[in-house]
Amino acid sequence: MAARSLWNGAIRFGLVNVPIKVYGAASSKQIRFRELHVKDAATLEHRRVCSKEDKEVPYDEVVRGYETSPGRYVVLTKDEIQAPARERGKTIDLEDFVPSDQIDPLYYDTPYWLGPQKGAEDAYAVLMAALEKTGLVGIGRFALRTREQLVALHAVDGALRIETMRFHDEVVDEDGLDLPQPAKKVSDKEAKMADALVSSLATEFDPTEYEDTYREHVLEVVEAKAQGRQIVAPEAAPEDESTDLMALLEQSVSGAGKTKKPKAKARKAKASA
Amino acid sequence: MPRPIWSGSLSFGLVNVPVKLMSATRDLGVHFNQLHEKDNARIEVRRVCTAENEEVPWEEVARGYELESGEVIMLTDEELEAADPKKTRTIDIEAFVDLEEIDPIFYDHPYYLVPDANEAAVRAYHLLRTVMERSEQVAIARFVLRTKEYLVAVRTRGDAITLTTMLFHDEVRSPEDIGIDGLPTAKKAEVDQAVTLVKSLQRDFDPANYDDEHRKRLLAIIDKKRKGQEIEIPEEPETPKAVPDLMAALEASIQKMKSGGRKALAADAAVEQNDAATLKRLPKKDLLARAKEADIEGRSQMSKDELVEALTSV
Repeated sequence: MAARSLWNGAIRFGLVNVPIKVYGAASSKQIRFRELHVKDAATLEHRRVCSKEDKEVPYDEVVRGYETSPGRYVVLTKDEIQAPARERGKTIDLEDFVPSDQIDPLYYDTPYWLGPQKGAEDAYAVLMAALEKTGLVGIGRFALRTREQLVALHAVDGALRIETMRFHDEVVDEDGLDLPQPAKKVSDKEAKMADALVSSLATEFDPTEYEDTYREHVLEVVEAKAQGRQIVAPEAAPEDESTDLMALLEQSVSGAGKTKKPKAKARKAKASA
Repeated sequence: MPRPIWSGSLSFGLVNVPVKLMSATRDLGVHFNQLHEKDNARIEVRRVCTAENEEVPWEEVARGYELESGEVIMLTDEELEAADPKKTRTIDIEAFVDLEEIDPIFYDHPYYLVPDANEAAVRAYHLLRTVMERSEQVAIARFVLRTKEYLVAVRTRGDAITLTTMLFHDEVRSPEDIGIDGLPTAKKAEVDQAVTLVKSLQRDFDPANYDDEHRKRLLAIIDKKRKGQEIEIPEEPETPKAVPDLMAALEASIQKMKSGGRKALAADAAVEQNDAATLKRLPKKDLLARAKEADIEGRSQMSKDELVEALTSV
């Protein structure tokens, strides 16, 4: 079944329009839980209550206000809140084209695939080919629903995709973290040993090699609980108290990759016991 | 400094570094509060137990999982932790890869890792940072954050180590999943022109070149409303149509870029599309120049809005 589009509009670069449809590219498979009252296992409801009257308020009596100073609000209508997004119109306006490796992944937020609208297939294919040939990424602005966002346009896997991006002032600079510095510098010997460990674990990235196993484990716990078994989290394994960095690195390199798997097996055995 | 979201350890071979996770983003969005229309009082959202009809404090909230049979199984935080205690407490590095191999489609949320303030943790942290920077490698790990397992990319940024959560391969869709396929082969002559245009618009990426204009415009609207002024609501925008002659549009764009640069090109596109919003963002003298080109009468007496109006109705 063809996917449903979230938005219809056009990519605009120069005097060229490429009418497209926007589709979600990612959907988290997070386990959905319900909120329950721990005391009686009853379902919880979220109720909107007026803080002044202490009474429930139906949705059609709710308005949106921006707090200008404590307790003082400017109320805006839905249309007024949406005005800035409407001003942008139905276009993804490309402003610049930049080399993709200059974009720190910290800026990327949500991905969307773009499909051509009927009649725009040729223009779509031309823009895609131009991005592939130059290795460049388009930077533009786009208003999806009520919010205008910065986006990066990529040609990937034979299609065009945008990633919404964070603005520069929304990214926290590492200088503000006040990172502690070691009193004793990292020695060459330690760095060499750590390098060897990194090399021994170096591989090509293949996303299909990593599966979400947690989901399964949670469902096992649910199943066990449903059968009335008691679930006890094992005590945290005592952390390796050793602080001899060099010794730990040496042991890691000599047994790289082999140290983790037996532990994982032991855990599984416990769950099925 | 932001508050930690999670604390545990980053494990690299047999080396464990106690760390805290801090968000690498700050929320600068313009947020609205729900108010009761009648009295402008704040709306509170309360969690109410459906059995007792009384408000429930956060400490008494548990998670329930609904089985296919409809039966709901209640789980406490401790029971959830038992599902995978190791991944709940440890970010376990499994591999090192090149950054370019990771498709940005997988990226979810960025964080910073900050070591505990003891010498052993700080040294191990700096050692890992140093070797990752030197080898230009990114560590791939997995861990559980708030009842969801994530694949994560651990990288260096300046003096810090960052962690970006990623989705699993079965959480992203491919173009085939959407039904984007059977595209025509692009004509070489058109691609060549498009390449020329794209290259003429090339520049280095500097995030500071892009400000959140939406935030500014929304705050300006709020300010106007506070002063009791009328807010103009733009009409529902129309979807622009495809250009009838792609080759001609590409060539005209390249010419305009050569003669007038980015701004002139954007303005031309806006006039062509009757895009008043883009024109409004231009300085008045640009609009006047454009009005002169279009031979609009009485232009020297017009306000900015009138100029935009005249330009888009030509």
